[in-house]
Amino acid sequence: MSYLKKLRASVLGGALAAALGSAFGGMAAAEDITINMAAPDWPPTRIMQDLANKEYKAKSGNSVKVVLDFIPWPDYYTRLAASLTSGEKKYNMAVSDSQWLGAFVEGGYYLKINDIIDKDPELQAIFKDLHPNLVAAYSTYPHKSANYYGFPQMPDVLVNYYRKDLFCNEDEQKAFQDKMGYKLPCTPEEMNEVDWKMWEDFGKFFRRAKGDKLAGQTLDDDFYGIAYQAGKGYDFNSMQINGFIWQYGADIWDETKAPNGQALGVVNSDTAVKALEHYLSLLQYAPPVAKTGTMDIFKTDELFREGKLAAHIEWIGFAETTINKEMSKVADKTGFAKMPATKGADGKMIRWSNIGGQPFVLTTWTEGATQSEAIEFVKWWLSTPVQTKFAQAGGQSGLKSVFASADYNSYRPWNHAFGPSLDWQKDVWHIPEFFELLVQQQEEFDKAITGQQGAKQALDNIAAFQDKTLREAGHIE
Amino acid sequence: MTTVATTKPGFFERFFARHRGPLLVSPAILVLVAMNIFPLFWSFGLSFYKYRANRQAEPVFVWFDNYIKILSDPVVWSRFQTTAIFVAISVLFQLIVGFLLAVLFEKQFPGRRVLLMLVLTPMMLSFVAVGAFFRYYYEPTFGLLSQAIKAITGEPFIILQSPAGAIGAIIFADVWMWSPFVMLLVLAGLVSVPKHLYEAAEIDRVSWWRRFRTITFPYIRGLLLLAVLFRTIETFKLFDAVFLITEGGPGTSTETIAVYVYRVAFQYFRTSESAALGYILLFVVVVLTNLYLFFVQRRARET
Repeated sequence: MSYLKKLRASVLGGALAAALGSAFGGMAAAEDITINMAAPDWPPTRIMQDLANKEYKAKSGNSVKVVLDFIPWPDYYTRLAASLTSGEKKYNMAVSDSQWLGAFVEGGYYLKINDIIDKDPELQAIFKDLHPNLVAAYSTYPHKSANYYGFPQMPDVLVNYYRKDLFCNEDEQKAFQDKMGYKLPCTPEEMNEVDWKMWEDFGKFFRRAKGDKLAGQTLDDDFYGIAYQAGKGYDFNSMQINGFIWQYGADIWDETKAPNGQALGVVNSDTAVKALEHYLSLLQYAPPVAKTGTMDIFKTDELFREGKLAAHIEWIGFAETTINKEMSKVADKTGFAKMPATKGADGKMIRWSNIGGQPFVLTTWTEGATQSEAIEFVKWWLSTPVQTKFAQAGGQSGLKSVFASADYNSYRPWNHAFGPSLDWQKDVWHIPEFFELLVQQQEEFDKAITGQQGAKQALDNIAAFQDKTLREAGHIE
Repeated sequence: MTTVATTKPGFFERFFARHRGPLLVSPAILVLVAMNIFPLFWSFGLSFYKYRANRQAEPVFVWFDNYIKILSDPVVWSRFQTTAIFVAISVLFQLIVGFLLAVLFEKQFPGRRVLLMLVLTPMMLSFVAVGAFFRYYYEPTFGLLSQAIKAITGEPFIILQSPAGAIGAIIFADVWMWSPFVMLLVLAGLVSVPKHLYEAAEIDRVSWWRRFRTITFPYIRGLLLLAVLFRTIETFKLFDAVFLITEGGPGTSTETIAVYVYRVAFQYFRTSESAALGYILLFVVVVLTNLYLFFVQRRARET
């Protein structure tokens, strides 16, 4: 064999060996990785699981399975908290309400992601594309600080669900014009301009008794005009009341002003009392369950889907079931619009609302390859094509490149209300003591809702409790 | 001549033969220690520390601070008062209804077996199913109760609107679920009364009340006291019905001490305080049990 032939043979042999080595080496390095995620059981997380099952392939070549453990909403906090604090380390990721960030960060369960973001230009681009109100609410602890913990899983806002068949009915339109002296809104554009005064008029106008006519049909049961959350459980009255308080120009205790921000005089200011009184006054037009303090978001959703309500205010997360014919009597009769606003003295609409939705977080014990794959999954989830598919399947995206795209509003009938609403979303406290504040506040609001005390008494009690609790915790000096 | 080969039992065979009893119960005891005794002592120790499960701070020994804080907290006493109302009224009605049902089912009548099975059904259902059922039952828009009353009065019936109504609604649910349990105990006592005593009383033309007081009651007294003990302890821990029907509302009017323990432990994450509160509840239950035993023994001495 000539020298050249020998050289060629050795080079080819070497290349073959290298190719085989890398091929088999690559196969040996591929790992089976399962990312376990705690998730509330509702459409946005079900869609996520469905998309992940069908489409997610890890770029690393590892066999990555994302397994969501679906837990019913009413038990979700308790089950997740029990899992985290018990030390079982079951979950690598968790969908978390933004209010829980402080409690679980201080406990050492949620992973700080600043270093991960700093090293990853792709994540930095995602954060730039996210609406800033979502980043503040879903990622930061302390609230609005530069410490990041969460990524948006499903951003959500409160919107107005209304019966198009009733609001656009000619007879009802005429009767409303005669009674109220202005046109009954029908289109989403008209409904977007509704303020609380008009909302009250809807409540008065659409209240009908059994045997009355509604849109030409004789009713076989009582019918009610409006409803919004007024339940004692979890945050099922605070989320709506906060919107009233902010729209009136009052405030809740603001943790970003700690330790100088006060609860006394702020939480129970005269303006806040007026805002709460306004909220309470509209409950008279809601179904009688409102008087029991159990009219939570699930109850208003149920009443609306059963065809007992003309309009209600609800999280977008419930919209997919509302337009599902198998689960809703009003599936093809529902329109969506922005949550009503307060009309200011200058006639301008003042819009504020409490943000909903959830971030998802990594747990501190998720390390090494599992952490890398979890981050890769987050990047896949928050990529524009996947978020577009999520939105097309009924979810919401916090990426400007998605929710501001030309096609976004065509995916679902409520999407037109989502993007603009993000600009006026605020969040409640992220501090570890949030649940103590929340439970006491819910109890006091509930007493006002069920007629046991007035708005002023409720807010005075809340302010006093918050002052005591926050001073003990060092949040107020 | 034949010889029988005998083998000497091995060490393990001898050991097993000698300690068969303890060895058979040891798995159960191990499980009991791991699942009950150890957590019990652990949580008792925890109740003397300042510790929150959702904080990284190390537990700090604080002696009786948690107990002092809890016993001087007006909220705790308010929840105890609410619980006492539930216990007093609910157990009383369970005894009355359970006793009347037992008197009914002591007699033979057509369809007795089927009816007895139906009456026993509530106590076999899960707490969650009963809670969810009554939540809908009391619901003023769709609920059966409201619809029935509305058919007469024309107005929906909102029982959960007022504190008194909400307390009554929960007590009704609890009585509905647990009266059959009292009935079973009383029925066991009733059927054990020898028939010839009643026959003798009949011949003597003894009044109904005297027959009950001198013949029936002595046979059911012990079982009635047992029913009072069981139901008092269980009602003292009332959680499910309250949480599912009213969530403690309106306001805090139906929030029992068990619901409050849950809030302190799993919502406020004041872990060691909740452990201390748990031991205070245990103390109350132990006192109630001893009171029961005291009465039973006194009765036994009297007879």
